[in-house]
Amino acid sequence: MTDATVLTEMPSLSKLYVNAAASAAKSRLLRSSPTVALPPRAVEVRGVRADLEKVTEFAHLMGEPARDVVPSGYLHALAFPVAMSVMVQDDFPLPLLGMIHLHNQVEHLAPVLFTDELLIRAWARDLEGHRSGTQVQIVAEIHTVDGTALLWRGVSTYLAKGVYLPGLDKPTAPVARVDFVPPTPTAQWQLGVDTGRAYAAVSGDFNPIHLSVLSAKALGMRRSIAHGMYAASRVLAAVPQHKPESFSWEISFDSPVFLPATVSLEVIDHRTDDGVWLSSEFLAWNARSARKFFSGTVWAA
Amino acid sequence: MTTPTTPVNESATEKFSVKTKQTTPAATTSQRRGVRKAVIVGGNRIPFARSGGAYSHCSNQDMLTAALDGLVARFGLADEEIGEVAAGAVLKHSRDFNLTREAVLGSALAATTPAYDLQQACATGMEAVIGLSNKIKLGQIDSAIAGGVDSASDAPIAVSEGLRAILLDLNRAKTMGQKAKIISRIRPKDLSPDAPSTGEPRTGLSMGEHQALTTAQWKISREAQDELALASHKNLAAAYDRNFFDDLVTPFRGLSRDSNLRGDSTLEKLASLKPVFGKSLGDNATMTAGNSTPLTDGASAVLLASDEWAQARDLPILADVLDGEAAAVDFVHGKDGLLMAPAFAVPRLLARNGLTLDDIDYFEIHEAFAGTVLSTLAAWEDEEFGTTRLGLDGAFGSIDRSKLNVNGSSLAAGHPFAATGGRLVATLAKMLHERGQVDGRPARGLISVCAAGGQGVVAILEAR
Repeated sequence: MTDATVLTEMPSLSKLYVNAAASAAKSRLLRSSPTVALPPRAVEVRGVRADLEKVTEFAHLMGEPARDVVPSGYLHALAFPVAMSVMVQDDFPLPLLGMIHLHNQVEHLAPVLFTDELLIRAWARDLEGHRSGTQVQIVAEIHTVDGTALLWRGVSTYLAKGVYLPGLDKPTAPVARVDFVPPTPTAQWQLGVDTGRAYAAVSGDFNPIHLSVLSAKALGMRRSIAHGMYAASRVLAAVPQHKPESFSWEISFDSPVFLPATVSLEVIDHRTDDGVWLSSEFLAWNARSARKFFSGTVWAA
Repeated sequence: MTTPTTPVNESATEKFSVKTKQTTPAATTSQRRGVRKAVIVGGNRIPFARSGGAYSHCSNQDMLTAALDGLVARFGLADEEIGEVAAGAVLKHSRDFNLTREAVLGSALAATTPAYDLQQACATGMEAVIGLSNKIKLGQIDSAIAGGVDSASDAPIAVSEGLRAILLDLNRAKTMGQKAKIISRIRPKDLSPDAPSTGEPRTGLSMGEHQALTTAQWKISREAQDELALASHKNLAAAYDRNFFDDLVTPFRGLSRDSNLRGDSTLEKLASLKPVFGKSLGDNATMTAGNSTPLTDGASAVLLASDEWAQARDLPILADVLDGEAAAVDFVHGKDGLLMAPAFAVPRLLARNGLTLDDIDYFEIHEAFAGTVLSTLAAWEDEEFGTTRLGLDGAFGSIDRSKLNVNGSSLAAGHPFAATGGRLVATLAKMLHERGQVDGRPARGLISVCAAGGQGVVAILEAR
């Protein structure tokens, strides 16, 4: 995508959320007929740097040592305001508030230092029907500021639940549910009710569904839920223990982690005979109900 | 001088007789006991930062992990299982009970690398080097990393003793009535937190106040202290300028040099500072912020190995860890100064190895305060101290000041307590390796570090 709206500064996430709430109210009032195409432009911000203090707080929240190299999960948070700017454009066909995070895939191609000056670009693609609504992918890329080297690319898949756009194909039948039998956990997380607020503070993602029971209820959730990227970042803090120069990861979210929660986790490492790390698979489920929360893979690439 | 000054080698040391109370020269040096050598491959540290500066939001674990990862990167140790890692911190959170092991798990080293924490105040890093070297010498391990870290910025703050007792009782209470009764015991004064201090528990005096007494006792002048401080800054700045630290220091958090370093300092500037310690001594107060070390954050690590382990990996061998010695003084009622233990440890260590001060080519005497270094040198030059306290025939001796802290020391670099030992060992090992041979024998260096509680740990390194 070459056509891009270049923002002169990093957009404020809190303003974006306010705008999203306003446009949601407006569309309810006007009952304007939704468009079924994605905005053709990318959104771009140049000259972005990670905030060292936030990077440090982020790493400590995830339980990993704060380094000069920025965690992969933090880069998602850094690119997130640009990704959101894509979704609050007037011609974006889905309501931003209440969207559910289904999947993430990230290629982390080179280490990013907190001192690096960056270019961030994001756009939307693959608007598709889903059995319970409409899904869309937001691609976010982090480049060196001169645009010559791609350092990190994340593709997030979101679902607008209950939103059906005319003309979009839906999968014919829901995927058959396979009974989930939890394996023996290798770790357990005790997540308090403040988990969403703590992640919001280090990532800047103050989406109301993560902050409190009340704000989550306003958006149709029965309780507040943990950020998907909190889960992914916390897994990535220790998997792999020693990050190669480049690696990839993906995570699928099966059910929301309502707070407070006890999360059981299984991590399986794959190594060469010489002990060199190749990949790790992870799987998390509700320790009480044995319901699957999320699963994914991290691999050297 | 009571001992011969001829060059010493492993077999020649047999012939020496040293007229000290420890009259079995070299009876226990490693070579004679038939144990193998422990060598220093190299070291790595992050630049030291004045507290409240570049690392103010970093934890001990962050900094120790950074020091380890820099060492791993320098010597290609990713996924390598090291024999053992030992490190520690003086200011330590209780949650960091396994600080070193946790840092190893967060580092690029193999997760199967064992680790343990140790703590001997400012001598922590030295004790880690000596203890691990001994394990290598005995063949228990083939490789080791000795380290240390301290953060004065991220220091632990505990609840008051009163509140702590109440909270523990509350935890044990069974009924709501009991709980309410216990909570009613909380008084406003219980809510003030308990921060760590540099005060000695048995005297209530801070380390600086203790040293001020010792500095006055040995009649160390303000000028002499300021000159030593200036030399420290000039020497450290010069060492950075000729890239001496390029393979000893890895930049961290945007810092590439020690933030306390003032290469442009002058005697006039130092002379303008007001005394901060020993102010009760009136005109005799000589210790300022310029000739005392500041509170500092930082971490260091040293890679130790057997010859075979280093050679098999084609790694450099800078120096041997020849021997080490700890000493302690009875400072509580002022018999000796708090930081004077090295004045006793060094004569014992040299005697055991059949060496004298003249056989040492580089002295690394930790500059806790300029007064500490100068008081130690004064004691060694003092005839009465030599005869009555060291049991010698006269003064222990004097050192050639051109051999002292030639690449700067703690007054310039700063002093993150447990990290100083690793800085000294790696720096000296590299200096010795560069020097090579002196008079047909390997260059020799002595490290002396004083510590809280009236302790000191000293060691001899020999060039490879």
